[in-house]
Amino acid sequence: MIRAASPITLEPLVLVAHDLWKNYGDRAVVSGVNFTLNPGEILGLLGPNGAGKTTTVGMLYGSVVPSRGFVQLGQQQVQLQGAQSRYFIGIVTQEDNLDPDFSVLENLIYFAHHYRITGNAARLRAGELLARVGLQEYAKQRIDELSGGLKRRLVLARALINRPHIVFLDEPTTGLDPDARQDFWRLVSQLRQEGCGVLLTTHYMDEAQRLCDRLLLLQQGKVIDQGTPAELIERTVGREMVEIEGVAESLLQQLANQAGTWYRPFGNSYLIALPINNPQSLWEQLAASEPRTLIRRRANLEDVFLRLTGASLA
Amino acid sequence: MKGISATAWGVYSVWHRHAKVYQKTWLFNSLPPLSEPLIYLVSFGYGLTPLVGEVSYEGQTVSYLKFIAPGMIAIGVLSQSFFEGAYGSFIRLSFQKTWQAFLTAPLSFTEVFLGDWLWASTKGTLAGLITGIVAVLWGLYSAWYLILSIPLIVLGSLLFGAMGLLTAGTVRTIDQMNAPIFLIILPMFTLCGTYFPRDTLPPLLGKVATFLPLSSLADLLRWPLGLPQFWPLELLWLLVCTGVFAWLAGRKIYPQLFK
Repeated sequence: MIRAASPITLEPLVLVAHDLWKNYGDRAVVSGVNFTLNPGEILGLLGPNGAGKTTTVGMLYGSVVPSRGFVQLGQQQVQLQGAQSRYFIGIVTQEDNLDPDFSVLENLIYFAHHYRITGNAARLRAGELLARVGLQEYAKQRIDELSGGLKRRLVLARALINRPHIVFLDEPTTGLDPDARQDFWRLVSQLRQEGCGVLLTTHYMDEAQRLCDRLLLLQQGKVIDQGTPAELIERTVGREMVEIEGVAESLLQQLANQAGTWYRPFGNSYLIALPINNPQSLWEQLAASEPRTLIRRRANLEDVFLRLTGASLA
Repeated sequence: MKGISATAWGVYSVWHRHAKVYQKTWLFNSLPPLSEPLIYLVSFGYGLTPLVGEVSYEGQTVSYLKFIAPGMIAIGVLSQSFFEGAYGSFIRLSFQKTWQAFLTAPLSFTEVFLGDWLWASTKGTLAGLITGIVAVLWGLYSAWYLILSIPLIVLGSLLFGAMGLLTAGTVRTIDQMNAPIFLIILPMFTLCGTYFPRDTLPPLLGKVATFLPLSSLADLLRWPLGLPQFWPLELLWLLVCTGVFAWLAGRKIYPQLFK
């Protein structure tokens, strides 16, 4: 098949995953994943390592061939038009596959060439993107001279070279220090404001909670729940949690049953959810049980995962 | 592999990336194709010519240097295209992940594969031409003969480039690269009639050497001294080997990129 030249579309594109499955032999790595990614939305795939997040992203841009199902980008099916679809998609893979033979600026200029952006247009676009991700002063540096955070910013800049409608970010902040993560989050938020659809995979619940408009919780290749972060938390675990240590499990079980809530072992301690309607009563009873440690805090996505799977995200 | 999707731009874009990297260190990169034939021609020319004098080839007597000059062109083609295809592509595939980065751009596997293969072939062609120019300047090969031999040099480069890519797709560690180098490349280098006529080899070894593709390339590049009896078959053999190695290389590399 001989492909056409660079396609152009000004319409915002919607990405739809239809019943995606991936099997390796008898083992299903992804089982029946469905979702829609709209323009100007950050959709998160949240799950522990091995949940099938990277395999799902691979199926979205064509590096993993689905065993069943398909991906639709606008009117195109990604499996049939893999390379052509990538004119509209920016991809930040888990591994930094920057070109070590080129400088920071050259990495962008020569990547732009693959999109038929050449000469001055490529230089201008590369300059714009370096300014956007704050790498102008590193333009002439070699890739191996950059820190992990700077490399991730450059990979993001590279993914934006063709002004994509949709960006896939596969575990983009793994291994970064807190400052570098904050910088990266700011850049991702800007993409949403510009109308770009962003698919973010992460196992950091704070990242998912802070950035994502909607979340799909994945475990062993299956979507176990979905919704906005606030919806998921309130629906699954309530609003507040207590971490408690040094009390008998039988007492916790009794108090949880009386209050119509739930508890889980959590390392050496226990987590117990405070009921939304009357949290103070249970809190006072827990405090009266003279625990070694008692911490009251807001519920988060980690608690959701613990409730749904019995396992932590980390 | 499902389907073949390619544009000329996509293939060129991959080739262009490799050419830009080469351009950055062109001085060091141009050293091997220039120094290799010079060293061989000087050492064999001054070292062996007094001992060997002349050799008999296709029913005529030729000076030893004139005999080995086309062999040196074939060696230049082999070493540059094979090693670029093998080491260069392996490093880009397994260490630098350049292939994987290409595939996040709107490039298909076919475009990336053809771009890498063409680059390996470009290096082989350049090496063959540089060696040929040295031979022309030395008075061992006519300039016209060299110009007319360009299609053969390109074909040889495509063949050994494909063989290199097959190696890159087959080995799992860089140390495993020694197996094809010492089991295939080195025997070709020494036995395929580049340094001496193959008819001096024991009959069985001579027959085996005849089927190694460097023999056909060296024989065909010696056309100014006389075409071998079965030259159309040798040409066909080069074409078949090129196609088979390229197909096998694609089959080996594809599953490493698409799961």
